[in-house]
Amino acid sequence: MAALSPRIHEVPDDLLAAIDWCYEQGWTDGLPVVPPAVERVKAMLAADARPAETVICKHPATGLDLSLHAAAVNAVMAGCLPEHFPVLVAAYEAMDQEGFNFHGSTASTGGSAPLLIVSGPYADTIGMNSDVNLFGPGNRANATIGRATRLILRNVFQMLPGISDKSTQGNPGKYSLCIAERSRGNPWPLLCEAQGYPKGTSSVTCYAAGGFCNVENHGGNTPEQVLGSVADAMANYGCITLGQSVVILAPEHMQIVADAGWSRERAQHFLFSAAKRSVEGMTDVGKYRDREYETQHGIGAHALAEKGYIHRGLNPEDILITMGGGDAGGHSCFLPSWSRGRGSIMQHKPITVRS
Amino acid sequence: MQLYSPMSTTPKRAAIRAPALAKIDGLRIGILENGKLNAEEMLNEVAALFVQRHGCTVRTLASKKNASAPAPGNTLTSVAQEVDFLITGLGD
Repeated sequence: MAALSPRIHEVPDDLLAAIDWCYEQGWTDGLPVVPPAVERVKAMLAADARPAETVICKHPATGLDLSLHAAAVNAVMAGCLPEHFPVLVAAYEAMDQEGFNFHGSTASTGGSAPLLIVSGPYADTIGMNSDVNLFGPGNRANATIGRATRLILRNVFQMLPGISDKSTQGNPGKYSLCIAERSRGNPWPLLCEAQGYPKGTSSVTCYAAGGFCNVENHGGNTPEQVLGSVADAMANYGCITLGQSVVILAPEHMQIVADAGWSRERAQHFLFSAAKRSVEGMTDVGKYRDREYETQHGIGAHALAEKGYIHRGLNPEDILITMGGGDAGGHSCFLPSWSRGRGSIMQHKPITVRS
Repeated sequence: MQLYSPMSTTPKRAAIRAPALAKIDGLRIGILENGKLNAEEMLNEVAALFVQRHGCTVRTLASKKNASAPAPGNTLTSVAQEVDFLITGLGD
């Protein structure tokens, strides 16, 4: 389907007035945006050599498409630099895959925010933060790529708070939720390597995140103690579902786990085994459902799924674990999935520089 | 100063609504439940009202595993052959 010509608005030649004008159009997330001046958008588009009308993502429910041009306009508004654009494009190409369930995760009462995890050398190339204050604030690439992701949901796909985005309470990550995986001192293969991309290829992983839970443990000295704290967060009654999980281990915690010789796979198995609640307990809080128990324990059940318990997720591979954050502090985190089951499955794509 | 609009630059894909039913008395009902807690109970209650008030008959109960994704095409094709209209909705 042929694209329409991008609409151009003439506004007073005054930057502050233009910012106010963008507010008046309903184009912002509540914070001021960089007015998407034509020349600035063209500079952003130069970061991708494909035709500007190339569609990179389709919203199944609204029938609206995301072109490179519209992505570039919103990237400018968010404050992105052209070198950030390939990450944003790859993120939308990832979320365009059916398993992500783009509509559900953007419209639901659950208050999902798309978490972007950038893995590989491109994160350093564009100066992303994978270190202290990982989730912000303070880094332009992290903040603006995440913000552009959200502005596209608002302006292109018209997922408007209270109208088509029905989040009950929202989520602070709905302003911006984008991090880089820490490669410095990371004892495990980077996500982009584990995902099978060739050496030197970076990736972005997209996950419909339901929130953020800090996991503090300054006294644990063994993998079981540290990961036991993480598992407890994963299995809290407010969070436990059959959905996927993202765990970002702080370097201090990672050191304890890796120095004991644990691989990512072993940690995933431990977390899946330990992040569970009894059927009785689930029943007591009103969250037990036969259908979910059968899904986890029926045909194809993972060997670690223990009878009489509901585990978080369906198998250990449902738990993404990597490292991020500053050197000091026993603070890891767990991000629950928006989906309570298989409603949204995390997706990844390679980051391709096409300029 | 010239600003680009941040809205979609591609035409909205066409969506077609089914024609409205001329009448509902005596028609065959299908129920499509979405797997959410209480969905089946709520939809059965709605269907019961059509039975009571309009003499409809409930012919089939279909399910979909993913509440927020469209029903699989083969589910809809199959149900469409058995019923005149389908009731669905959220059930949280």
